[in-house]
Amino acid sequence: MTTSTDPRLTQVFRFLHARYADGVAELAYAFDDGEPMVERIRFPHAPALPVERKAAFEAALKLLHLVAGVSYYKAGVPPKIDVADGPLDDATADLLDALYLHGLAEFAYRNGLDLRGRISFPRFSPAPLRGTRGGAMNGAGFEERGERRDEGAASPHAPSLALPRRTLVPIGGGKDSLVAVEAIKSVGGEATAVWVGSSALIAACAERTGLPTLNLQRELAPALFELNQRGAWNGHIPVTAVNSAILVAAAILYGFDSIAFANERSASAATLEYDGQLVNHQWSKGYAFEQLLGEWLHTHVAADLDYCSLLRPYSELAITRAFARLTPYFDAFSSCNRNFRILGPKPADRWCGQCPKCHFVFLALAPFLPKPRLLTIFGRNLLDDESQAAGFDALLEYQDHKPFECVGEGAEARAAMYALSQRPEWQEDALVVRFRDEILPQLDVAQLALEPWLEPSAEHRVPARLQAALKAIA
Amino acid sequence: MKFGGTSVATLPRWHNIRELVASRRAEGARVLVVVSALTGITDALKKLCGEGDQGKRKAAAGAIAQRHHDLLGHMRLPLPATLGARLDELAALAAEGPARLGELAWAALVQAHGELMSSALGAAFLSHTGLATQWLDARDCLAAVALPNQNERTKLLSAMVEAKPDPVLNARLAAQGEVFITQGFIARESEGRTVLLGRGGSDTSASYFGALLKAQRVEIWTDVAGMFTANPRQVPGARLLQKLDYEEAQEIASTGAKVLHPRCLSPLREPRVPLLVKDTNRPELEGTVIGPQVREHAPSVKAISARKGITLVSMESVGMWQQVGFLADVFAHFKQHGLSVDLIGSAETNVTVSLDPTENLLDSDAIAALAGDLAKVCRVKVIAPCAAITLVGRGMRSMLHTLSSVLAEFDQLRVHLISQSSNNLNLTFVVDEDVVDDLLPHLHDLLIAAGALRTDDNVLFGPSWQQLYGSGEAVVSQAWWREPAQRSRLLAIAAEATPRYVYHLPTVRQQARALKSLTAVDRLHYAVKANTHPAILRVLAAEGFAFECVSPGELEVVSAAVPADVPLLFTPNFASRADFERGLATRATITLDALHPVEHWGELFRGREVVLRVDLGRGLGHHEKVRTGGSGSKFGLPVEQLDAFLRHADAHGVVVRGLHAHLGSGVLDAKHWGEVYSQLASLAERIGSIAFLNIGGGLGVPSHPGEAQLDIAALDKVLREVKAAYPHYRLWMEPGRYLVADGGVLLARVTQTKGKGSWRYLGVDTGMNSLIRPALYDAWHEIANLTRLDEDATGLFQVVGPICESGDVLGSDRRLPEPQEGDVVLIAQTGAYGKVMSSLYNLRGETEEVVIDA
Repeated sequence: MTTSTDPRLTQVFRFLHARYADGVAELAYAFDDGEPMVERIRFPHAPALPVERKAAFEAALKLLHLVAGVSYYKAGVPPKIDVADGPLDDATADLLDALYLHGLAEFAYRNGLDLRGRISFPRFSPAPLRGTRGGAMNGAGFEERGERRDEGAASPHAPSLALPRRTLVPIGGGKDSLVAVEAIKSVGGEATAVWVGSSALIAACAERTGLPTLNLQRELAPALFELNQRGAWNGHIPVTAVNSAILVAAAILYGFDSIAFANERSASAATLEYDGQLVNHQWSKGYAFEQLLGEWLHTHVAADLDYCSLLRPYSELAITRAFARLTPYFDAFSSCNRNFRILGPKPADRWCGQCPKCHFVFLALAPFLPKPRLLTIFGRNLLDDESQAAGFDALLEYQDHKPFECVGEGAEARAAMYALSQRPEWQEDALVVRFRDEILPQLDVAQLALEPWLEPSAEHRVPARLQAALKAIA
Repeated sequence: MKFGGTSVATLPRWHNIRELVASRRAEGARVLVVVSALTGITDALKKLCGEGDQGKRKAAAGAIAQRHHDLLGHMRLPLPATLGARLDELAALAAEGPARLGELAWAALVQAHGELMSSALGAAFLSHTGLATQWLDARDCLAAVALPNQNERTKLLSAMVEAKPDPVLNARLAAQGEVFITQGFIARESEGRTVLLGRGGSDTSASYFGALLKAQRVEIWTDVAGMFTANPRQVPGARLLQKLDYEEAQEIASTGAKVLHPRCLSPLREPRVPLLVKDTNRPELEGTVIGPQVREHAPSVKAISARKGITLVSMESVGMWQQVGFLADVFAHFKQHGLSVDLIGSAETNVTVSLDPTENLLDSDAIAALAGDLAKVCRVKVIAPCAAITLVGRGMRSMLHTLSSVLAEFDQLRVHLISQSSNNLNLTFVVDEDVVDDLLPHLHDLLIAAGALRTDDNVLFGPSWQQLYGSGEAVVSQAWWREPAQRSRLLAIAAEATPRYVYHLPTVRQQARALKSLTAVDRLHYAVKANTHPAILRVLAAEGFAFECVSPGELEVVSAAVPADVPLLFTPNFASRADFERGLATRATITLDALHPVEHWGELFRGREVVLRVDLGRGLGHHEKVRTGGSGSKFGLPVEQLDAFLRHADAHGVVVRGLHAHLGSGVLDAKHWGEVYSQLASLAERIGSIAFLNIGGGLGVPSHPGEAQLDIAALDKVLREVKAAYPHYRLWMEPGRYLVADGGVLLARVTQTKGKGSWRYLGVDTGMNSLIRPALYDAWHEIANLTRLDEDATGLFQVVGPICESGDVLGSDRRLPEPQEGDVVLIAQTGAYGKVMSSLYNLRGETEEVVIDA
């Protein structure tokens, strides 16, 4: 129990310590002067850490501690943030400030909070002198290592660690990560399918990839649950950032030179604008975060550790088109966020058919798969079901805003729907008829072409070694 | 005798085959054994055929050879020359590739090796164990015929053989020996090339040989005892079909049953060779005999099946009305796109056809191209995924009148097409695919209950799959009132007065203890609306149950009967503000199931912890009126209003501590609660303040004899699985009927009988005034003549009460002994929703309640 009072009334959120031993990272936090809340991350069959990677691992662990704290911080959103082993350099503080502000934007919107000006990680100010912080920043957990920290704000480069040339590919059970996996496989890249937490769906998909697998575990502090019961703030957190930080530590520990997420172009688009602030449900899947973290890793962890998204140049539609070729996954994958943990063999066990993810994946795959095949994946025809009209309207951003879920852009959804409305095998389905009769007359047909969505953009941070895989998706 | 891939893959199974062949020899029969390839070999050969790289093909052939060497090793046999030659030939084919023979001919020859190898191996084994066995090359006996519609692919990979009795072959074999082994799946065409018989080919080979040799019978040995009234995986209560004629069996096979390929029956029809399906592991079971129609039976539905993955194409146009050649043009498009039409339904301006789920349909643009062509002449709609539910039985049209309750079930569904062919063997409904899994077992039960599937005829129908293969014996516990001591006690109670409800408390305790074995459940509530008798409330309180009430009145009755520390739950629906005020004045935890109370009366609940009942958007249950989920039901907060609810709650300092959903009543499938539980848990994770989940009740109480009980152990397993994923939520349930239904009976007395046409009515001294469930829900309650419990049930009665309503029927078509005025009639399982739903209608007075506790 951290404190017996209402978590919303706390004053300080404290980062206490981060330790690692025997495959378990222990991350401790507290509100005010309460008991520590201890989270554990488990790295199965962790090898002994080579001495030349120790400094990098310590930096990764520090990052993980700071990033994973978002799950606890948001319970109380106190006005002050305290880091027990001392203030951060500017680059680190900037990264964390941005992550907490933008990553919690939806949380703030839904709870009617304004986090602007409230989130401020302690930093050396105004312009710290070199060599002043080594001692101050060290503390819990690892042995002294002042030399790296000294490089501080002067945007130095972390050393190259000659990490093995292989890639960690996070698997989510949905189509995107499977497209990324197959792209890497197609160019003969060495990769391991990795995921955090226990999910039968993800395990099944990971197994289907035929890649070696790595299943990491994140155990939230039980105290967080007690806080929730006492009225903590609750809501969406930037979970991709937490998983990214876990994978960074894993990459150093097990030896991988790259982490290739499967975040697509539309992840960077805001869900809505609220009181002058852009709210993006999937901010930590967006390009801004990818750049921030990727650069930070090069300066603070290892010059040869790359963090990127293999799908970044592509729209959801380009990705669903690529996925439409991957028949062997059709009876294993699911992007649905409901029924996620317990699975059965039927389509209805994997696809609830009601949520925005189901709606979007159905709509985005439809132009690229034979209709009967698509319907066997979902077990039903969502576009011939009048009761789903509101859900599809939201995707089309017709009389509604884009849902708070990881779905494609409204214009993409409109292009897919328009394509279907021109196809004889789809155009008599209830919601396609509705689109043709009600929505299409209000749209500019010139804006509805599918083809532009299939063109990759130039924006990505994929390292040279994986660029062939990037091209394989198109 | 034909044996499939798993039967020939291991040494113990070959011992099995040897014993079976020897037993037929002992009966004096000459035996021809037809075998498939070892399990997995045909697939491995197919994969080899698709491999472009010679090195990989050779490696694959090597691995396939090794499987056979391994089995030979287990048999402690040296490599027989016949098998050695096959292995060499396969290696050569793999090395050579398809260039010389041509892709298809080469593939056919490669795949034929699976059976050539397994039969060579079998010949060596059987001969070695003392059963002299001749290896016979099936290709020397089965000549494929050329058919007009064939292309090169179908000619080579799914060939047909015209098998007429061949006395010459018969004589030739007779001269060679008594036991033969040959290959399924393969034949030879006129140019001498090896061809395959396509899917189900080995069964078909056995039939061809049966016809060629005009065999005494063909035996298909497989892993199940025969054909069943439904797919046992969907309907565990499906009954073994012991006798079928060729046409019925073919219809069942082609509408879903996997045990036989439909093609294998027609060769046997003309020579009238019977086919017997037997279980290799359980040879003592009767199996299914398929033969000519021998004697007349009362018409009965034989099977119900479902085929999924059906696509419908609906074509609408006035242009087709009285237009010569319209349909011919339309169907030409189906042919052109390689789509084969199965069912057809037509009206003057609409034709709807069904397409089976072929690879061509699923993975090519055929349907898009077809729709494009059709759209030029009519409006076309592609409806999928659908499932075809088929009832099979000879003389289907004469059975329609028995099907009314079955047909009523389709009332809630989207039925896209109904088809009934002139051969009068089937009746098919095409519906949405996602309803089928729940619907099929239910329809099977209804068919039995309606007397359309005459399981009482034990010549036609054998034991259920559950009985034959189910895990553990289905213990059919005898109802308490059948015990002689209880029966005489009940007769004495009835002698004092009728109508009377009698509650047997030990049965209530027994049910309570069964539920207490659900280790995953942290708190059980008794849903008191089922029966509010204080004696029952006290028994359940003593068993440690909490109580769930739906009105202030129930709260009062419960508070008066149970100790003050027993937890209460108040779960009203459309309750007034005053109801909530009264509920809040008690210790009960309050469940809200709408926005209105927290939106408009939020201050009432300030500072309270409440439970929120949500509607997960679907309903389950045995009758429309007991389904409590889905938009058509008045219960629960729609999930899309959850955020609004939480905002109002937060504004009034109300903490949502529990989440509740309840899907319906009479649910017998354990996995439904797992679904509710996991859906609630994933919702709870978004809310944060949740500490417990209440997954409701609705535990089914089967009423028909032989119907499967709710499997409490299976339910516990499902719940524990979910709990492992969400250990931080406590789990609550609130069963009602499950606890008290079996414990209660309604006693009435026979007043008179009446004949009307062929109908016989049996009148008793109470009806829907005491027990409204049959009238309200079509509920089926067992009815027994307690006075004549041991007499033969010879008459067929409509059991009716004295209320002036045509719906006052307690039970229809009941087999009962000939009654006398004054006989005591018992209506079973009336401990729940009996007395509490009774009324004073017609002013026939209150029905008394009697409690017995021993």
